[in-house]
Amino acid sequence: MKYNRTIVILAAAAVAASCSSDFLTVEHNSQKPIESYFNTEAHLAEALVAAYDPLQWFDWCANQYNPLNIMSDIMADQIWVGGADRTDNAYWHLMMNYEAIPTNCMSGIWSDAYSGVKRCNDVITYMDWTDNLPDAVAKSTEAQARVLRAYYYTILWKFWGNIPYYEVNLTGDFTCPQYTADEVYAKILADLQGAIDLNVLPMKWDAANTGRVSQAFAYMLFAELTMYQNDAAKLPKALDYMKEIIGSNQYDLLANYGDVFKEEGEWGKESIFEIGFKEKGAQRSWDWVRGVGGTVLPRLISPNNWTGDGVHDGGWGFCPVRQETLDMFDAADTRRDATCWNPGKENGYSARYQDTGIWLEKYVAYKANNDDAEYDGDLNFNNNLRIYRYAETLLNAAELVQAGYGSGDAAGWLNKVHERALGAGNTVALSLDNIKQERRLEFVGEGKRYWDLIRWGDAATTLVPDAYGYRTNTWSASKKYLPFPQSEIDATKGKSYELKQNNY
Amino acid sequence: MKKIITLILSLGLSLAALAQNVTLRGVVKDAGNQPVVGAFVVEQGTNNGTMSDVDGSFSLRVKKGATVEVSCLGYENKTVKVNNDSVLDIVLSDDSQMLEETVVVGYGVQKKSVVTASIAKVDAEALGVTAPTRVDQALKGLTAGVTVTAASGQPGAGSRIRIRGVGTINDSNPIYIVDGMPISGGIDYLNPSDIESIEVLKDAASGAVYGTRAANGVILVTTKKGAKGKARIDYNYSYGVSSPWKTREVLNASEYALMINEGLINSGAAPRYADPWSYGEGTDWQKEVFNYNAPQKNHELSISGASEAVSYYLSLGYTDQEGIVGGNFNRSNYNRLTLRSNTSYTLWDRKSERNYLNSMVLTNQISYARVSSKGVSENSQWGSPLGSALALSPILGVYASDDDVTNYGVIYPGETLITDASGKVFMIPGSSYNEMVNPIADLSRPANDNWSHKIVGAVSGELQLWDNLKFHSSLSVDMSFWGNYGYTPLYYLSANNHATTTNVNAQYEKGLVWQLENYLTYNKEMGRHSFSVMVGQSALENTSDGLYGNRYDLAEEWYDKPYINNAPNNADDPDKQHASGWFNAPYRLASYFGRADWNYDERYMAQVTLRRDGSSRFGSNNKWGNFPSFSLGWNIHKEPYLTLPQAISNAKLRFSWGVNGSDAFEAFRYTVLTSDQNNYIIGAGETTAQGVKSSGLANPSLRWERSVQTNLGLDFGLYQNALTFTVDFYNKITDGMLIQMPVPAYVGESSPWGNSGEMLNRGVEFEFSYKFGHGNWNHRIGGNATYLYNRLISMGNESGFNNYDSFQGAGAMTRGENGHPFPFFYGLKTDGIFQNTDEIAAYTWTNPETGVTSPIMPGAVPGDVRFVDVNNDGKIDDDDRTDIGNGMPKWTVGVNYSANYKNLDFYMLWQGTFGNDILDVTRRTDISETNMPAYMLNRWTGEGTSTKIPRFVRGDNMNWKMSDLYVQDGSYLRLKNIQLGYTLPEKLTKKALVSSLRLYVSAENLLTFTSYRGYDPEISSGGTSLGVDYGVYPQARTFLFGFNLKF
Repeated sequence: MKYNRTIVILAAAAVAASCSSDFLTVEHNSQKPIESYFNTEAHLAEALVAAYDPLQWFDWCANQYNPLNIMSDIMADQIWVGGADRTDNAYWHLMMNYEAIPTNCMSGIWSDAYSGVKRCNDVITYMDWTDNLPDAVAKSTEAQARVLRAYYYTILWKFWGNIPYYEVNLTGDFTCPQYTADEVYAKILADLQGAIDLNVLPMKWDAANTGRVSQAFAYMLFAELTMYQNDAAKLPKALDYMKEIIGSNQYDLLANYGDVFKEEGEWGKESIFEIGFKEKGAQRSWDWVRGVGGTVLPRLISPNNWTGDGVHDGGWGFCPVRQETLDMFDAADTRRDATCWNPGKENGYSARYQDTGIWLEKYVAYKANNDDAEYDGDLNFNNNLRIYRYAETLLNAAELVQAGYGSGDAAGWLNKVHERALGAGNTVALSLDNIKQERRLEFVGEGKRYWDLIRWGDAATTLVPDAYGYRTNTWSASKKYLPFPQSEIDATKGKSYELKQNNY
Repeated sequence: MKKIITLILSLGLSLAALAQNVTLRGVVKDAGNQPVVGAFVVEQGTNNGTMSDVDGSFSLRVKKGATVEVSCLGYENKTVKVNNDSVLDIVLSDDSQMLEETVVVGYGVQKKSVVTASIAKVDAEALGVTAPTRVDQALKGLTAGVTVTAASGQPGAGSRIRIRGVGTINDSNPIYIVDGMPISGGIDYLNPSDIESIEVLKDAASGAVYGTRAANGVILVTTKKGAKGKARIDYNYSYGVSSPWKTREVLNASEYALMINEGLINSGAAPRYADPWSYGEGTDWQKEVFNYNAPQKNHELSISGASEAVSYYLSLGYTDQEGIVGGNFNRSNYNRLTLRSNTSYTLWDRKSERNYLNSMVLTNQISYARVSSKGVSENSQWGSPLGSALALSPILGVYASDDDVTNYGVIYPGETLITDASGKVFMIPGSSYNEMVNPIADLSRPANDNWSHKIVGAVSGELQLWDNLKFHSSLSVDMSFWGNYGYTPLYYLSANNHATTTNVNAQYEKGLVWQLENYLTYNKEMGRHSFSVMVGQSALENTSDGLYGNRYDLAEEWYDKPYINNAPNNADDPDKQHASGWFNAPYRLASYFGRADWNYDERYMAQVTLRRDGSSRFGSNNKWGNFPSFSLGWNIHKEPYLTLPQAISNAKLRFSWGVNGSDAFEAFRYTVLTSDQNNYIIGAGETTAQGVKSSGLANPSLRWERSVQTNLGLDFGLYQNALTFTVDFYNKITDGMLIQMPVPAYVGESSPWGNSGEMLNRGVEFEFSYKFGHGNWNHRIGGNATYLYNRLISMGNESGFNNYDSFQGAGAMTRGENGHPFPFFYGLKTDGIFQNTDEIAAYTWTNPETGVTSPIMPGAVPGDVRFVDVNNDGKIDDDDRTDIGNGMPKWTVGVNYSANYKNLDFYMLWQGTFGNDILDVTRRTDISETNMPAYMLNRWTGEGTSTKIPRFVRGDNMNWKMSDLYVQDGSYLRLKNIQLGYTLPEKLTKKALVSSLRLYVSAENLLTFTSYRGYDPEISSGGTSLGVDYGVYPQARTFLFGFNLKF
């Protein structure tokens, strides 16, 4: 019967189309399930690159603008906040005056650094999924992921202290225990020590791998952690690590301080770690700010509507350098002009809030630094952000010797930095005060000063109301840890581990 | 209603007062010997007539030998010849067409009398009369519960349709099903004159058969078929011209100069214009931008007919329309060609021979549509042509002066200035207007050519198996291609809107949807019981992909042929040409469904529906969802135990309950996939190293959004349904709305999607219609009104709110928040203007803890706005922002009236909304040079001068924060369509072999009553900015002439 045949055919088609359970399982055309992807050496390497990726987000931070150096420097005593007025990036102004509030505080570094942590954890997980991984690759991958994770956690620990800490990514209700700052310190240090002890990272990477975390980076991070914690038990080891970097002869000071922050100085012999930015081939745009490319930092901290010299470029008028910062330099100190660009108040630009006429030459906008950018120029300055320099290694070592954690040529290390700035033969006596002064002059605008003042115990006496009426509060111990963003408190309410607010 | 009846009666009586010779008395009865109330009794060829009373009796004096016609809606007309005084019983037989009125439901049709769900129907007649160019516009004002808001007045712009409110914070568009096929990408491709009927399934019970796609309502479209008889040829033509119906009142050049001077002085600066009055009127930018008398034309041709074995319907449609903004620059226009063929073949029909496999019908439908369009940016705060027209100083001219041109060479070196066809350079307003540019220069640039082709085809068969058991099967395919061609010549509009390299590009996209459906139907009558059952299966897949390519450096000599192949091939340089492509996530849906109907004597009705849907978008833990519903009905008027008043011809009570779903969300949200482009710079050469990560956090329990709806309805018919009235109450709760779940940011990944939000919509819908006639007159009035109450019960996130749109210079302005309508306008409340310093000093707050009293706005000066300290904390800041209105109307109404007298016909449609607000953000207060609306002339200039508009000061960043100063009442009543037609006498047309020729003139948007100061109160742009006016592309006022020709 031909009618019956018709029915059978139609019915069969129906059954074939809808009864099969496979029918509802569709595959993405350009994305793969992670379990079937992260199981080769090449793909693991891609996961590791992705773990570095959040390093370049901080300057923009989803419109929060939290450049790593600036966010601590505004709480110190060398630059102002600036901008249009006190409502422009209001939380910067609140932090500067030690009155941050949970509903309007820095949250960009918080989420970006945790993105980094999560990706590092993923790399370590994916290592288990990858068969036939050569031992050297496995160890290098693990060491990089752990050192990077320790770095992300260190950023969080320094700003917020009592933070949630995890080394395996969260599931379930996505909360995890919160630890005291001391417990967090112990956890970060243990993880970092383990990575250092793998002893697979080179003291300095070859040209093909410039940009990756090195053994010297791990040592510097170790020193930063232990010195900020004033952990007497670990400081001798920190000194040993500094001496190991010095003894490796892989690093040295550049002859001219000003060159350190020039494009030619990037990844120079003085550079232990930088966060990389580039203009040529930059993919970053306002539509995709997380794309690889340049940084917005120079635009943020340059004079508004600059029309002057044809070399510098304008910006949004944040972070004018304090007059006192310019004044603290000896006239002969080459660091003065390399740090402070002084076109003069309102000279060639529109003055904004807290204008001093002085700008941070190290990172101020240069026309040449973004003119090759294909997409939005604002976002694509090529200035790498210097994280660790050899000068800091020398001053760390000198300070640790002077504080009695071991032996070494402390005076020589201190004066090597000093003479580079003031010329050969200009030396200073070895003293803790002189080491502090040297750090103060050397690292303006590099995100070191605020933490130094805290660890030296000088914050409460140095970070006091100013003569201009900008800062009206004095730093106190409770200001050491910023309040957590209120949204984080809210998001953990009623969950397994509720986040307890810092006593700010 | 009583009044109308009285009016008609008295009209009838007055007509009866004319001279006559004989008297006809009688009673009008129906076939069941029941009196017919309100039947018209008219002497043919005269205006002499009367109407039967409640007993059906009447009396009429007529000329001896006259023919008297007795008519009543629902019955066939009857004529009697009257030679003497006489008394007659006139028996009217039921109009069979009337009783057989049916409603299309999913997978079947139902007799209207037994429908228990809430379904609105718009038939071809109603659609035909307004002759809309788009189907979505056609629904406007015709049915209750359906809110249709034009997205803009740009030709071809779609409308935003919401059925019973805003159902979810996500996609709340209804699903369109055309002849059984769900259509993606809108129903623009349909020629409205091809439509037989549109049914809107409003409640959950009617929608349940479409399961996980019905939560926001279902719109069923049925296209025409050929009817038995001789071939019928219809040709319709119309030609119209459109113009804006209103301009905004803004300052002229002198007023502008005065105001700018005042603003400067108030801010402590020197005035700029020495003699403001010397500038006169200046440039009327709106007049420059608008295109007056923009033409539109429309052709529709259809041929249809049927024999015993074959029925066919063929049609061709062509529409060409120019926009009222940019149409004259070839920047805003719309052109559509449609073709359709609907054919069905009866392969065999042996019903008389056997009761198994006795008939088989095959149906084949195919339609093609080609649309090409160009559009200007609209309703944007970033410098759309109308936005710029409102913003630019009237002192500036359209063209640059010779001095300007010389000057431009210095300020804009190397840039290509835009000129008109004769080479005159357009004025460049400069950087002080931010994104606002010279709109005429902007319109003189080439537009993207958008094109699309869509082919929808279906083959279906219906085979009788045994008795009334039938098997239906259909395979439908919807294939579309769309894309655009564009090029950017060298141009300079402003510092951030210019091109220093040319660019020529093309984009092609393709989409394919196929659907296979099989279902069985069976119906049976057993005594007074009547049953019908339907079970079936459906499978659907939707895939799409696209390609994009461009090249740079198109030489000027090729500007007239801006195609990719005419630009140099630089295959080696990635900065000189790009190609990209994408495959969108495929979508698959598998379904089983069934429905059972029962009624007893058409008195008691019940229906149960169940659909089970499996969607590829659901998480692995929730692949399948069940969507049940039931409905009950009671035809009270058929109840023999109840005696209802004679006048009541229909009384039906309906109740329904059901669950619908929505899977209108992105694919793969339930799982974790790889995500590339997480790159970092590695290597001394600053190489971009490829980074890949996992895409996010998985939620394998992700499921459909669910809406549960209860509906209670009452249908009334009076006087043989000449007067009908329907009321529906509904309560609809949507839960499991998709939102990113509240997880802490320290998980280091964007939050996973979860089902947690909840929304409430509740409303009342009224519809009525009244048909009556007398003499050669026939009238019909139809009306509908909808009341809507909408609340977001829970946003589903930790904060309980989300801010959406924001306005440059004024901050966030729309928001969704628990316990409020969704979305609402968000800003400060104002309380007049400070008239003097005493008022500022008196505006204080007392701290309840310390008892200290302090001024709330210490920085204010007289003439500033007094903002309300909503949170009562002694200061005005962002925390004082609150709900200051919303764009969703509380009441939506539509009234249509049609009448005909002999060969004349008349129609009008009124449509309006009440209780909605508009947020007028056409003035960019952050741009100090911007021109101002005329209401700024009523600003505060001294004590007592204004209690509403603050003083004008340059750089004012306080008074124009987002507040209720921007909010206006958006209610309106509009004469949407008015039409007068004349059908030529048959005697004349017959000679030309024309069976009917009707000529008509009509007008769209002829009258609008509104207090809104902007271009148009009809505003919708995107989901959350409902009612936000950035300078909307207004609805045009159109005058049309046309004719309908039938052979």
